[in-house]
Amino acid sequence: MSEELKTNEEKFINEIIASIGGIGEELRDTSHRLIKKSPADILGGLAKAARDILTLDYFSRDKRRNEIDVEPVNIDEFGFNARYFEMVRGFYEFLFYKYFRTAIKGIKNVPDSGSVIIVSNHSGALPLDGIMLRLALLNEHPSSRDIRFLIEDYIYHLPFAGTFMNRIGAVRACRENAERLLRKGKGIAVFPEGIQGISKLYKDRYKVQRFGRGGVIRLAIRNRVPIIPAAVIGAEESYPMLFKIKRFAMMFGLPYIPVTYTFPFLGPLGLLPLPSKWMIQFGEPVRFDKLKREDAEDTALVSGYNESLRGTIQNMINELLASR
Amino acid sequence: MRRIKNQKKRVAVTGAFGFIGSHLIPLLDCDDRYSKIVAIDIKSPPFAAKKLSYYNVDLTSPSAETELMKILKKEKVDTLVHLAFLSNPVANTEWVHELESVGTFKVINACSASKVKRFVMWSSTMVYGAYPDNPNYLTESHKKRGCPGFSFVQDKLEAEKAVMDFASKNDDFEYTILRTCTIVGPTVDNIFTSLLLRNYVPVVMGYDPLMQFIHEVDVIDVFKFVLDREIKGEFNVASDGVIPVSEIMRLGGIIPVPVPYFALKNVISFLWNGQLIRYPAGFLNYMKYVFNVDNEKLRKDMGFTPKYSSLEAIKNYLGTRRLRKIELAN
Repeated sequence: MSEELKTNEEKFINEIIASIGGIGEELRDTSHRLIKKSPADILGGLAKAARDILTLDYFSRDKRRNEIDVEPVNIDEFGFNARYFEMVRGFYEFLFYKYFRTAIKGIKNVPDSGSVIIVSNHSGALPLDGIMLRLALLNEHPSSRDIRFLIEDYIYHLPFAGTFMNRIGAVRACRENAERLLRKGKGIAVFPEGIQGISKLYKDRYKVQRFGRGGVIRLAIRNRVPIIPAAVIGAEESYPMLFKIKRFAMMFGLPYIPVTYTFPFLGPLGLLPLPSKWMIQFGEPVRFDKLKREDAEDTALVSGYNESLRGTIQNMINELLASR
Repeated sequence: MRRIKNQKKRVAVTGAFGFIGSHLIPLLDCDDRYSKIVAIDIKSPPFAAKKLSYYNVDLTSPSAETELMKILKKEKVDTLVHLAFLSNPVANTEWVHELESVGTFKVINACSASKVKRFVMWSSTMVYGAYPDNPNYLTESHKKRGCPGFSFVQDKLEAEKAVMDFASKNDDFEYTILRTCTIVGPTVDNIFTSLLLRNYVPVVMGYDPLMQFIHEVDVIDVFKFVLDREIKGEFNVASDGVIPVSEIMRLGGIIPVPVPYFALKNVISFLWNGQLIRYPAGFLNYMKYVFNVDNEKLRKDMGFTPKYSSLEAIKNYLGTRRLRKIELAN
């Protein structure tokens, strides 16, 4: 009973916060949130996920080959596997709430429904920001928005990585995929900095790199979709990259091998992120309703918007950095 | 409408007693709008049909073009359905090249010489090639990259190119290309269904591409649909929905044996060169990356809706898989 009251109270407070809305919304810490899953469940889920992707359970499958597996197939058209996501969700929630103690600002700027493009800075040698943005909107947005984040091609050259990212809701970044998602009224998260963003060294942290050739702006104009600038703070400190090795990386099909304080010196353990405090801010939507579809071909206009969007995100980052 | 009523269609089918042909011909035989079916194959007819006349022409023989021309003229054929393509890779790749790539060239030439009005060809979505930088849904306008080194696909790609080349030089040449994705169903036999007949299927470790299927009934329907309505253009024929390889294995109770790519590639190349298996290493690309197609043009422009979704089609195949193996054992 008291718990119910507590949640009601929380809801009420949230509603007040929400009613202020928009830019006035305060930075809201989420680290007090309880995670439903126990540590054993989280580790169990991870182990199950690893076993599933390595396909190492075939010996046990052999024994029960003739039994009917009744778990439903729940896979969307881009390969998001709800069953698989549930296995690793506990771990990512632990990272989000307890490890990174993420604070959120301006989540009401993301509309409750309809297609939307969230454009964010990209950072951290191992990109965790996509899944964190997804989790923020899934868990903290009032209407629990299920967005897809677009990732670079090179992930799909690698074994395991592409499959894993696909199953937890990533989509290969290309115009066809983005337009298909937007046509279906889905939200997408885009990192126009691409590899330039995640491969920054620690000394260059929080300097937003070039925004490609303005593909995001053209996508928004063509499809009449608002862009929501977003800033993610903290990922740079999670993986402070001192050097990057490019030569040997080619052998493994990677764009670079990061060298941090812990990696590769501590082996795979060094791949664990450092527990920095994360902040995610969603800015006010940029709308392109007044433009015509043909304006997408106007390179001067597109690069103007592109540069101003980059500036907006850089400002948001600077403000957040000053506030912490 | 009147033209269709008065003038009944006379259809020639190459590769007539392959899977699609042997199901399509009985359908055409019952339909009053068709007055003649000319079957061209090297196999003799496995069934009887009222309107059927059979000719034994080997497309790989040098005289095939003139033979075909004579037949098409004599029978006053107005539509030719070109189905002489293989569903399984075979070791004799030179022969396949002669049949599929050069054979298509000969068929087109014979068609134009004997005033065949319409040309319908079967192809596969494998001609797009499986690449990590493919969009999840390829449209008809996407570049066909094929799969270099995998002649099974390259020959089909060359056949398509021969048609496109000819069409660009002859404006009045009406053609239809139906590019089917992986066909599954209770009876069809192709590269993918025979792979899944095993209890243990080697898979590329760390890759789990999304696959797309079309039911065999839908494939035969789409050919009939195109012939009935005289639709032209190129179409990707695929059902809605995708399903990852791992889920197919789970549904079918098949045990995937994960092998790292470099090991699997070398073993398969070795076995293929020794003619011990039916799969060349090029097929592994299709077990690594996506090559799914967008069926919007099929639905909107052609107006054809597949009856089975990808999942229903593969479930239908997996349901009959065990019975199929019994048949093979006898």
